[in-house]
Amino acid sequence: MPSSIEIDVRDVLKTALSGISASVYSSPPEAVIPPACVIVPDAVYLETVTVGSGAIRVKINFVITAAVAYNNTAGALDGLEKLIISILTALPLGYVVGDVQRPTIQSVGASNLLIADLSVSTFYTQT
Amino acid sequence: MATTVISARGIEFTIDAVDYDPQTTSVLLVNEPTITTYQTLDGKAYKHIDDQWTLNVELLADWGAASSLFESMWNLALNTPNTTVEVVLQTASGASWTADVFPVFPSAGGTAPDAQTDTWTMLVDGVPAITIS
Repeated sequence: MPSSIEIDVRDVLKTALSGISASVYSSPPEAVIPPACVIVPDAVYLETVTVGSGAIRVKINFVITAAVAYNNTAGALDGLEKLIISILTALPLGYVVGDVQRPTIQSVGASNLLIADLSVSTFYTQT
Repeated sequence: MATTVISARGIEFTIDAVDYDPQTTSVLLVNEPTITTYQTLDGKAYKHIDDQWTLNVELLADWGAASSLFESMWNLALNTPNTTVEVVLQTASGASWTADVFPVFPSAGGTAPDAQTDTWTMLVDGVPAITIS
């Protein structure tokens, strides 16, 4: 069975993050249940960084969006910080971890979420 | 004549018959000529007296991985530092170069938060052989 980014990367990353106290989505969901972390493609998403064409090898850039319910500022920020730390702790080896962007408030349906994006990247070889 | 584009995607690259493509981000076979300049009564005269070729390789580190290329190169540099290994650099457009290079010790460690990388500067013994199909 040929490999795929979904099976060999996003689902593996989702499994690695499944131990944290949050809903984990390997792709953008229709509805987010906070606290949550969502694995979404970054821009640029796939990069070719190695020579040769014998196998398709790409660097994959993801954003892991951490989201908590925005009920009060202090509590939400504390919850978001703890969620980000737990994501960093759970990230598997082989991932390059970038910066966490400034938290923002986003309205999703009837609720407000405090979210922050964490950039991560890894490498994938199509077999 | 149509424009020809040769990208690094078309490069096949082996050292000591081992495929290095998966870890290599850049590979360059570079010549540094030695040209002596003579000041004559008629002006400057130039004489190309020597060439030193170098293979410059930039790689993603793979310490600890199965069949690690870094560990393989480390062992070559440790056990047979004065014995050259064959490098074959081939482009999809049909040209290939063969050279004998001396092994080097890869560097260890890295800079956060980036992936661990290394640059190998490998001295070439003699002149690379070019084959154009």
